[in-house]
Amino acid sequence: MDHAVHVAELRKTFDVPEREAGLRASAKSLIRRRTTEVKAVDAISFDIAPGEVVGFLGPNGAGKTTTLKMLSGLLYPTDGDATVLGHVPSKRERDFLRRITLVMGNRNQLQWDLPALDSYELNRAIYRIPREDFVPTRDELIELLDVEDIVRKPVRQLSLGERMKVEIIGSLLHRPQVLFLDEPTIGLDVTMQKRIRSFVADYNQRHGATVLLTSHYMADVEALCQRVIVIHHGRILFDGRLAELASTFTAHKTIEVALENGAADLSAYGEITYRDGDVVTLRVPKVETARVTARLLAEQEVLDLNVEDPPIEDVIELVFAQERPE
Amino acid sequence: MNALRVTWLFFKIGVLNELQYRVNFVVQLFQSAIALAVGLVVLALVYSHTDELNGWSQPELLCVLGVQILMGGAIKMYIQPNMTRLIDDVREGKLDYALTKPEDSQMLVSVREVRIWQVVDLVSGSIVVAVGLSEVSAGVGALDALGFGVALLLGGVMIYCFWLVIATAAFWVVNMWTVVELFDGVFQTGRWPVGIYPGWLRYSVTFLVPVAFAVTVPAEALTSRLDWQTLALAVGFALVLFGATRWFWRFGLRNYTGASA
Repeated sequence: MDHAVHVAELRKTFDVPEREAGLRASAKSLIRRRTTEVKAVDAISFDIAPGEVVGFLGPNGAGKTTTLKMLSGLLYPTDGDATVLGHVPSKRERDFLRRITLVMGNRNQLQWDLPALDSYELNRAIYRIPREDFVPTRDELIELLDVEDIVRKPVRQLSLGERMKVEIIGSLLHRPQVLFLDEPTIGLDVTMQKRIRSFVADYNQRHGATVLLTSHYMADVEALCQRVIVIHHGRILFDGRLAELASTFTAHKTIEVALENGAADLSAYGEITYRDGDVVTLRVPKVETARVTARLLAEQEVLDLNVEDPPIEDVIELVFAQERPE
Repeated sequence: MNALRVTWLFFKIGVLNELQYRVNFVVQLFQSAIALAVGLVVLALVYSHTDELNGWSQPELLCVLGVQILMGGAIKMYIQPNMTRLIDDVREGKLDYALTKPEDSQMLVSVREVRIWQVVDLVSGSIVVAVGLSEVSAGVGALDALGFGVALLLGGVMIYCFWLVIATAAFWVVNMWTVVELFDGVFQTGRWPVGIYPGWLRYSVTFLVPVAFAVTVPAEALTSRLDWQTLALAVGFALVLFGATRWFWRFGLRNYTGASA
């Protein structure tokens, strides 16, 4: 098999009822319901190789979750093809479902009033995991996430972060080969985010699992994904290496200079975006970077100089603002 | 059978969950006692005016009441909680996890909940049946008992199918709660043998909401009234209903959109 995930011209449209606010409009819609067609996913195509970790970026309502749900067999595509590990997800074959997992940061699947260990037993039965495989896997995951005590407490008593950890264990007991992670770190504090992140990276390396991840936290994506797919209004705007995202979408670079003589006015070199004592940050058109750098070094007393792509958050913001690269 | 193992595990987990809420047991005890008392008072009132009702003597009607309580308990214990959770899950888009499991989805959504304190109704229903039977002169033969068991099981299957159709409709019609409340009302008609109702109502509570099959038919078995044609009809109807329900469930799944995360 060449690809772990193959998506070609995949579409999903929803019919959304539409009416004006108010009683009269409500009455009218009883008789004649008007619906608008919303293209949640609009002819997207991509392939993911086995073992790859891909970040799926986009603002709310971009179509990320809809795509993940189609790939995990929850939603029937309106049109187009998708295969995951050679299976058509919407057929929901057992062989397929046994090899994937879907983790949603804002949903829980464990029994609320019982310790997570009880829910794990349930998953063992549902996934038909032999005990000799189940126990080592479970214990390894528990150790990796450092939750020996937590799995014995009723889930309702756990903090959000603890709950996410035990949820993730529950989703991985059957050692899935493809992981669909929808906002796995949402609402967690920075330490917990890091923990989950390094765990996902570790799992990917140990088991060669393919991971498709959506997150609002760029740190997640930067830490985990060599490749990103940017989606907006149901269409793919960018698919490539994270590093290339900046060069594709921004026509600018930032130059950070520390000056001997902090008072010097640098506005002639470019747009000053930030100034902190002797350190000045300039925004310079990409094509002029080399020339401006040379001029700065020649004309000013420079202590230190750095040329960088703008922060990834700014790039993403820019991507969504301009929608399509020229 | 893995399905049975999963069902059993869910049952065990449900019991563990419910045991934490012992107050529910007391509440259930009260509710059942009141329902039983009302049923008995009404029965006594009716028989203070007449000796028989459409060919059913008072002890025989006691059996009908008992079967109705028993079946009602089973419905509220297992069928109704699962189906109302399904309706909620569809509305809130929470069915996702059940649908990504490598097990039959219909089975999974049907066994996730259990209300064990409804066991009070199972016990009190059985006692009422036993009391009624002790006063029925003819007694209960082995064949009657067997017919009773089979009819009860078929009735349960039909009620389950009815509920699953209603719950599946939640894929399109988001608010199914009115229908849920309606069921409780309709199920009360089962306190009397359906033969006493006018034709249109009799047909409705037989084929539309299968209360007749769930209560009257088993009670007929107990009181040696059941003929093989009725039992055959019950078997046939249960099979057709189950097949149609399964088809409808799968069809409904295609329309699951899941609430957006």
